[in-house]
Amino acid sequence: MQCPNAVPECLIDRNRKPMSKILIVADVKGGEVRKSSLELLGKAAADGLTAEAVLIGAGVEGQADVLAGHGAAKVYVADDASLENFAVDRYTAAAADAVGQSAPDMVWLSASETGKALGPALAARMEAAFVSDCIAVDLSDGEVVVLRPAMATKVIQKVRIKKDGLKVITVRSGAFDAADAGPKPADVTALSIPEGDGRIVVKEVVQEQTGRVDLGDAGTIVSVGRGVKGPEGVEFVRPLADLLEAGYGASRAVVDSGWMPFDLQVGQTGRVVSPDVYFAIGISGAIQHLAGMSGSKLIVAVNKDPDAPIFSVADYGIVGDLFKVVPVLIEEIKKHKT
Amino acid sequence: MNIIVLVKSVIDVELNIRVKDGEVVKDGLNYILSKWDENALEAALQLKEAGDGEVTAVTVGPDRAGEALRKALAMGADKGVHVNDPAAAGSDAFGIAKILAKVIQRNAFDLVIAGRQSQDTDLGATGPVLAELLGVPLAVNVIEIDPKPAGGKLNIKRKGDVGVELIEIALPALLTANDSLNEPRLASLRGIMAARKKPMDILTLSDLGIDPETVGAAGSGIEIVEFQPPPQRAAGQKFEGEPEEIARQVVELLANEAKIFA
Ligand SMILES: Cc1cc2nc3c(=O)[nH]c(=O)nc-3n(C[C@H](O)[C@H](O)[C@H](O)COP(=O)(O)OP(=O)(O)OC[C@H]3O[C@@H](n4cnc5c(N)ncnc54)[C@H](O)[C@@H]3O)c2cc1C
Ligand SMILES: Nc1ncnc2c1ncn2[C@@H]1O[C@H](COP(=O)(O)O)[C@@H](O)[C@H]1O
Repeated sequence: MQCPNAVPECLIDRNRKPMSKILIVADVKGGEVRKSSLELLGKAAADGLTAEAVLIGAGVEGQADVLAGHGAAKVYVADDASLENFAVDRYTAAAADAVGQSAPDMVWLSASETGKALGPALAARMEAAFVSDCIAVDLSDGEVVVLRPAMATKVIQKVRIKKDGLKVITVRSGAFDAADAGPKPADVTALSIPEGDGRIVVKEVVQEQTGRVDLGDAGTIVSVGRGVKGPEGVEFVRPLADLLEAGYGASRAVVDSGWMPFDLQVGQTGRVVSPDVYFAIGISGAIQHLAGMSGSKLIVAVNKDPDAPIFSVADYGIVGDLFKVVPVLIEEIKKHKT
Repeated sequence: MNIIVLVKSVIDVELNIRVKDGEVVKDGLNYILSKWDENALEAALQLKEAGDGEVTAVTVGPDRAGEALRKALAMGADKGVHVNDPAAAGSDAFGIAKILAKVIQRNAFDLVIAGRQSQDTDLGATGPVLAELLGVPLAVNVIEIDPKPAGGKLNIKRKGDVGVELIEIALPALLTANDSLNEPRLASLRGIMAARKKPMDILTLSDLGIDPETVGAAGSGIEIVEFQPPPQRAAGQKFEGEPEEIARQVVELLANEAKIFA
């Protein structure tokens, strides 16, 4: 910015180029673009921005049409067997190639585990400014101002990106709405397939037996904590989740005990979820768990300790023994369901 | 193995945190070693114990960061490096990583372990940015480390979106620790006594040949405009009494008020 005299008038940069082009790095799971990526396209469309997308993986090219249907004007695709598993070196190289070709003002990624690795790695590679975990993004005035939770969601930071040039952010799922759009033929640009330098070799990916309903997409989630006492307790509560067609999650205590797989951990270092309804069964409500679910619209808690911190966020708090309460919940809900 | 552990002094977020006039109220705050850095340190100590080597804890921060460093030494790190320079205040992840890179590159190293994110910012960028600056391979969100490196490579597991990834990573490398990686040890009384005698290097930016304009608030790409309190949830209802009765009441409310079965 040229500012001959230090007049306040000059602080308003009238020539500032408005943010106009966004490159969205799509997340793919089970061969399909995840909803969180479509939400990013939804935000770009709502803000009247040009959106392009990057698709990286094996057998993913068909998904380009899904991205186009949601507004991606161009889709950069790196589709190769060597990209089947996420590897931060190869994925960063492919994404950097797309950034070079697209020359966007910003790169948006989902704040998934992939985005959490790829986002800062890509920002570092491109010497771009970086902010993670955004829940609101304001691009008016040609500036980027975001809101993001910090300190285990005990505060919200309002952050302005002041660095010129490329800006990379990760965004929490559920922050924006995805359009209800079908696929359409995409304008595809093939990226060259990056060669790893052999320093990172992904030998195997152990896919976990996840629940029937993905936690990220679930409208209702039932989660269990150490209060279920063991694997039998996990099975004892499961019919409640099944009845509600809910995602079935867990606290870290349950996952650490090996009663449920890692994939189902809700919390700061597990999945961050914001369903319409969240049932916390036998979960104390440690801040790290709350940080992952306190954005739920309605929270129901069952805990035998009336002072459990979970009650501070619960809309409906049931003080009682879950082994007595859950069967009644199931019976009563059945009555309403029929 | 020469292992570097990155440690940061952070606000203890388990305690009550208040926001007023766009700022976090400083009164009553307590500062601790960030939890994920304890996991990083524990992993380093276990690697050292399984083989040999030396663990160096490095921090960038004001005087109080020295306490976090002392704690790392009390837990078992062999030596500490404290970059204490007012010009480093307000650094973003790029500034911190730039400083850390200068410190680390003074000696040969095999492994750098950072926390997955720091508890005060929950940012999760410093590790990946530093890996890029050091030019070493990166694995984020590590949940298991095989303590026996073979042929200059380390076998680790990280948690990704699809499942647990088994990765072989060539040393030198940079890892970031998930809290499920281990259960950090407590500092023993002996450890605390021993920590007082362990070497601690205190450095300024000029010792490292870093231009202060390129780091700190001046060099930062981002600026925190303000802090806001998190959205408040409406006060909830608590039900106590006969399980049969209160469970029935809540289902009624879910059906009629919240209309979740509609
Ligand atoms: C850095 C860090 C990151 C973390 N990340 C996460 C995370 O991502 N997710 C997460 O969940 N945790 C996380 N944790 C762990 C967290 O601090 C808690 O330890 C954990 O959430 C506790 O799980 P819990 O509530 O199931 O167990 P507990 O705290 O043991 O609570 C069990 C609850 O069950 C109740 N109960 C017992 N029996 C019954 C019964 N019969 N009927 C009804 N209620 C009963 C008890 O009153 C108690 O409140 C993290 C911790 C750290 C330090
Ligand atoms: N000032 C610092 N000094 C030393 N290490 C740091 C510092 N800031 C961040 N780190 C390391 O980087 C990790 C992630 O931090 P962040 O990117 O701020 O979330 C932390 O857990 C530390 O291991």
